[in-house]
Amino acid sequence: MGTLRPRYANLLLLIGLVLTSSLAPASSLSVTVNDVECVYEYVLYEGDTVSGNFVVVDHDIFWSSDHPGIDFTVTSPAGNVVQTLKGTSGDKFEFKAPRSGMYKFCFHNPYSTPETVSFYIHAGHIPTEHDLAKDEHLDPINVKIAELRESLESVTLEQKYLKARDSRHRHTNESTRKRVIYYTVAEYLLLACVSTLQVVYIRRLFSKSVGYNRV
Amino acid sequence: MPERRAGAILLLVASLLLSWSGHLVPVAEAVWLTIPSSGTKCVSEEIQSNVVVLADYYIVDDEHAHLHTATISSRVTSPYGNNLHHNENVTHGQFAFTTSEAGNYLACFWIGGKHQEGAGLTIGLDWKIGIAAKDWESVAKKEKIQGVELELLKLEGAVQAIHDNLIYLKNREAEMREVSEKTNGRVAWFSIMSLGVCIVVSVLQLWHLRHYFERKKLI
Repeated sequence: MGTLRPRYANLLLLIGLVLTSSLAPASSLSVTVNDVECVYEYVLYEGDTVSGNFVVVDHDIFWSSDHPGIDFTVTSPAGNVVQTLKGTSGDKFEFKAPRSGMYKFCFHNPYSTPETVSFYIHAGHIPTEHDLAKDEHLDPINVKIAELRESLESVTLEQKYLKARDSRHRHTNESTRKRVIYYTVAEYLLLACVSTLQVVYIRRLFSKSVGYNRV
Repeated sequence: MPERRAGAILLLVASLLLSWSGHLVPVAEAVWLTIPSSGTKCVSEEIQSNVVVLADYYIVDDEHAHLHTATISSRVTSPYGNNLHHNENVTHGQFAFTTSEAGNYLACFWIGGKHQEGAGLTIGLDWKIGIAAKDWESVAKKEKIQGVELELLKLEGAVQAIHDNLIYLKNREAEMREVSEKTNGRVAWFSIMSLGVCIVVSVLQLWHLRHYFERKKLI
């Protein structure tokens, strides 16, 4: 009877820790940015590492110098800017949250052409002594499991970034393929057209109605 | 023993509170978006086929007082244009489906019904696909596992998902490489052909003009 109680208590502690450490926010979406688009994500604990990435996936611009990229800003719930990236077409970011609360991730498109941005945000938490009640101690296996989970999440993060970059590359490839075909066919037609016009012009120069032997 | 029991009950209450507070304001896993007062806000994701998609959306309590009359409508479309989910004038809703085709899935939200002009609305969207959408409670109940074993099972699921993703990325890269190499071949072929077309056209020009001048007795 005396040995059941401590085991029961330990089980509850484990379940409690598991329940709290399993809330690992992560979200991956694509949004079209016309001017400013803001996405909010809640960070549960102070000191959490918030990591993520974003890639500008779809752009219908002609020359690459037309659009250098978009600006990205992270604002903490207190209102100060935690991180900012300017003029990039995709990047990774990571910061340690100074406090818990609702963080604002904003994309700003300085030009009028709308861009589609694919982003992924993850707020990871590793349980520490601060999460527990005063008289309980931290089970190292939970810390290790949380660290493992965070490492796997970072691999998943990297994969999502790769997938978004691959998607952008695929768009560029498709565009190149179409441009090669259409511009070449247009070039041939234009060449034939121009040479026909040349011949017609020269014939007109020598035609009888203009003047006999005037050339 | 009574203090042990008290400790266990306290722990149970604490863990329940901690887990409950996470669900009281269900923002832990959701992303918040602002919907403009007119027009729609769309989010999309490129998803492969045979993937479970689970999503939950709700209006977030704002400081504005008109949250009681605000409703949102949503529509989810597959890459081929099929309507997967359509809901009008609700304060919260959810949709779940398994993707049958690979492509861009679009979820659009707009403010339904009457709403004060000039003010946007904030909605929370909890969008989970693939391994994140797996129902671990039912797996735990079926296999009768809990605690560390369940966590390790989740980690194993995550590793499997990473592996599958890697294979998917590898296949996509192979497809793209083929397109690239085809384009590379086409650029070379079309450039040489362009030179050939140029030569042919100029030869035709000269031939035609010579014939014309000979006809006109100028040569």
